[in-house]
Amino acid sequence: MTIIDQTYQPPKGGLGATRLAGAGLLIVLAGFAIIGPAVISSDPAAQDFGASLAPIGGDYLLGADHYGRSLLARLAHGARLSFGMAFLTMLAAAIPGVLFGLVAAWRGGWAERGLEFVATIVLALPGLMLVLLLLAFSPGNYGPLFLGLALTLWVEFYRVTKASTKTILSQPHVEAARMLGFGSRYILLHYVMPVITPMLSTLAAFAMATAIIAVSTLSAISVGLQPPTPELGSMIVELLPYFAEAPVHVLLPAALIFLLVLGLQLFAQGERA
Amino acid sequence: MNVQMMNDLAVHDLSIHAADGPIVSNVSLSLGRGRPLTLLGESGSGKSLVAQAIMGNLPARVHATGSVVFKGVDLLAEAAGERRQRWGRSIGLLPQEPWLALDPTMRVGSQVGEVHRYVKGKAASDSLAATRQNLAEVSLSAAEALYPFQISGGMGQRAAIAMAHAAGAELLIADEPTKGLDAALRDSVTARLRQEVEAGRLLLTITHDVVVARALGGTIGVMLDGRLVEYGPAEKLLAEPQHAYTKALLAAEPSQWGRKTRATPGKTVVTAQGLEKRYGDRVLFSGFDIEVAAGEIVSIVGPSGCGKTTIGNILLGLTKPDAGAVVTDAELSPLRFQKLYQDPPAAFAPHQTIRKGLKDLARLHGKDWSGIEASCRRLRLQDVLLDRLPGQVSGGELQRFALLRALLLDPAFLFADEATSRLDPVSQQDVVTFLLELVEETGLAVLLVTHDRDLVEKVSTRLIELEGADGRTA
Amino acid sequence: MAMRNYLLARLLQAGIVAIVVGALCFVLMRVLPGDAAMRIAAGRYGPDARIADAAEKVRLELGLDRPIAVQFVEWLGSLARFDLGHSLVTGRAVAHELLVQLGASVWLAAAALALSLLIGPVVGLFGGLKPGGTADRVGLMGAVTFRAIPPFVLGLILMLIFSRQLGWLPPAGFGSPREILLPALTLALGLAAMSSRVTRNAVAAVAQAPYFAFARYKGLPESVVVRRHGLRNAAIPVVSYLGLQAIYLIEGVVVVESLFAYPGIGHALVHAIVERDVPMVQGTALTMGLMFVAIAAIVDLVTLWLDPRMRKVV
Repeated sequence: MTIIDQTYQPPKGGLGATRLAGAGLLIVLAGFAIIGPAVISSDPAAQDFGASLAPIGGDYLLGADHYGRSLLARLAHGARLSFGMAFLTMLAAAIPGVLFGLVAAWRGGWAERGLEFVATIVLALPGLMLVLLLLAFSPGNYGPLFLGLALTLWVEFYRVTKASTKTILSQPHVEAARMLGFGSRYILLHYVMPVITPMLSTLAAFAMATAIIAVSTLSAISVGLQPPTPELGSMIVELLPYFAEAPVHVLLPAALIFLLVLGLQLFAQGERA
Repeated sequence: MNVQMMNDLAVHDLSIHAADGPIVSNVSLSLGRGRPLTLLGESGSGKSLVAQAIMGNLPARVHATGSVVFKGVDLLAEAAGERRQRWGRSIGLLPQEPWLALDPTMRVGSQVGEVHRYVKGKAASDSLAATRQNLAEVSLSAAEALYPFQISGGMGQRAAIAMAHAAGAELLIADEPTKGLDAALRDSVTARLRQEVEAGRLLLTITHDVVVARALGGTIGVMLDGRLVEYGPAEKLLAEPQHAYTKALLAAEPSQWGRKTRATPGKTVVTAQGLEKRYGDRVLFSGFDIEVAAGEIVSIVGPSGCGKTTIGNILLGLTKPDAGAVVTDAELSPLRFQKLYQDPPAAFAPHQTIRKGLKDLARLHGKDWSGIEASCRRLRLQDVLLDRLPGQVSGGELQRFALLRALLLDPAFLFADEATSRLDPVSQQDVVTFLLELVEETGLAVLLVTHDRDLVEKVSTRLIELEGADGRTA
Repeated sequence: MAMRNYLLARLLQAGIVAIVVGALCFVLMRVLPGDAAMRIAAGRYGPDARIADAAEKVRLELGLDRPIAVQFVEWLGSLARFDLGHSLVTGRAVAHELLVQLGASVWLAAAALALSLLIGPVVGLFGGLKPGGTADRVGLMGAVTFRAIPPFVLGLILMLIFSRQLGWLPPAGFGSPREILLPALTLALGLAAMSSRVTRNAVAAVAQAPYFAFARYKGLPESVVVRRHGLRNAAIPVVSYLGLQAIYLIEGVVVVESLFAYPGIGHALVHAIVERDVPMVQGTALTMGLMFVAIAAIVDLVTLWLDPRMRKVV
């Protein structure tokens, strides 16, 4: 309504700055996760009891844990594991999620009802509960962890894709395009994808953040990946008894998780944060 | 005796300044009892800002200079707190789109009642009685216990009037009171506003609709680009407009158009018989027959929700009828059946430049770009517009692009679904003129769906009345 | 009408929860290495004496050679009768253990929710009243930070600060409000990080809403405008968001209970998974799942009460 028109509101500043910061943080961390394990010569599993809890900045750049394993090497491998696991989980969730979402929106009818039913079943339980139940089949293994996470995360991709595609397809401009002779391929590529791609990238970043938190949390409560795997969550728990002697050692993997998730969330939210 | 003393509200030399310069300049006007004032203009003409300056709710970043004298007091000299004290008590606002201005989670009765309770400080039981009285005055007694989402747009506007009655404000400011309402509801709202004037209230109305200004009478001010370009008694101003803009505005009203004669209809393009459509238990229409031939403009009129648009969509094959059949001329490709939409921006992909959309279309059908350029010139569409997004050009221009797009496929049948109802009068006239030329030149068959009776009477070869589902006609 | 539909939907969800949990545990029971009859016997009668006899009885009674579908239906049948069996580890009835743990978990969840409602909406309110102002920025930074810290890390940090360094609060255990405080605070901070932003957006949206401005133009004093037109409308998105937060709450309860060795259902679930105590896994997962449904149902009812538009039967 014009009488309380907001025309003279100050323009929104700093659009995209948060997103950029998130992307920058992610590039640095991804570099550490990808290049780190290749460049750092020390084996993350090699024990050196003489260097137990070695301080930061000595023989070991970031110190060593209670078994004398290089923390730098373990952090780099841990980052690679978290990142890699999160990325694969995201792909395993996003690809079927988006495809099913498009099918449901395009076809409607039974295809949609069937998919909705499956989604309802998955969503009936909080995601972590489903992952835990699957983990009961073989605790400490990648398989059920990966499967459980992908199984819970695809629903979000499905729902968002379906809802936005349905909205787009119901708009007059799509109807107009069909009457003008454009086919489904053109509508998908030029009308649907440009709108849903930004949403999906946001969702993908969120899904990766969720996966990173879940993987580390499950290790920390000892139902996920088990030591000696250099997993960030289990590193924290392993080092916790030595907190009095080496507090920073405990905080390093925690800080790495924090930065990974922060980077992803800043990237995901951007203007919304 | 000073002439101004006879005016209850006198605005003198009002200017409104934003950071980058004035946005309203030197507006002077006045209104009195029995002499309502209507400010007429397009969006962006500054008419709403003038109303805001009088009400005292200008946006934070602008300020007003000049004077607004209400009952002998200069409002612009008052502090913000004093001005707020006037809200409801001496100056009341009738909001545009009242269904948005009513609290969605509170019953209509409570929203009227709180004025008695908290503005007038009456006891709860007195408030209730007074509320019922206010609602009865605008024939809304039945809506007391309803929530805003359960009432119609016209009822919402009456609820807002009931609230103004409750507060007893002497000056009413009606901000686009007919926006979003169809012709029948528009007339009932203007009639209600007339009653307010007759009951002795002061009325300032902001509108873009000449019909509303004419119906209200009193004084009319025409605004353009932040200036009051013409100002005077309604009868005189409407009969003998002086300023070029006012003249164009009035001439663009369909009722002022000349009636065009047309060639006799050619071959039948599309016929349908025994059409029926129902939504749930409600039958929209049944046993409906229609036939449109080349060179004809067939119009369907009727109240909102009577199924006018559905019929057009059935003819195009976009909606399936529950009964009946559509037969189109078998020689014609389906691509030669096209549609113009009510909301032009919705008919274009929002993130695609117009040029890209047209290029893809030309490539798809193996057409030459030079043909598009020629059509652009013909429809007076400048080249720079091509590189804009649909949201960045005006509705009138966009509707002409939609026409251009359809022309590329050499249409035989065009369904214009309220295609000009959201355009300002001048743009409407442009689009309709082009459409008529096309019919003349190419023998295009047009199905026109609209609620604008004047338009229909001026352009159509044949008129079909559709009754509302409840038997109500427009 | 609408209320009945919402409750029916939640009832259906509860049924799905039972079937999903039951089905997974049924499969789990049969894929674990060793003799299924033995495990079921232990799950039913406890692992005490004469287990072999009992196993034989089970084998005959259940007819483990019968079609798997028949066995599955019977499995679900006993679930429907709330016959949850006995723990394979302790031999005690699962239902009995759950009763004790449920109380502890409900207390934790309720304390966490209450604490989060003291923090989140208040922070959000100040941010939303002046979007872009200092309070808004500080609230945003806090929310972004706390959202990026996984609950178990947050719990550890709080434990290190308040127990190890300051020695104010016990790091683990259960019984007194002091022991519930750290786990509850861990969850509450995570919940508040989210609800503060939802509140902020809701408040900002209401403050800009045409009906909020119109309430002023009607002449109502500011306090009446806020009380009658602000609070309810701003509360609606916050309350309906609680439905989504129920997911975080239930997941968080599992994590935080394990971390603080808090004797609730989440802790028991994790334990049961590590020990592969299938009847306990089933019982605890079912209870947590139903707790989730119950929270969602309560949120539905509050939203219905707050927002008349929801009462519309579509």
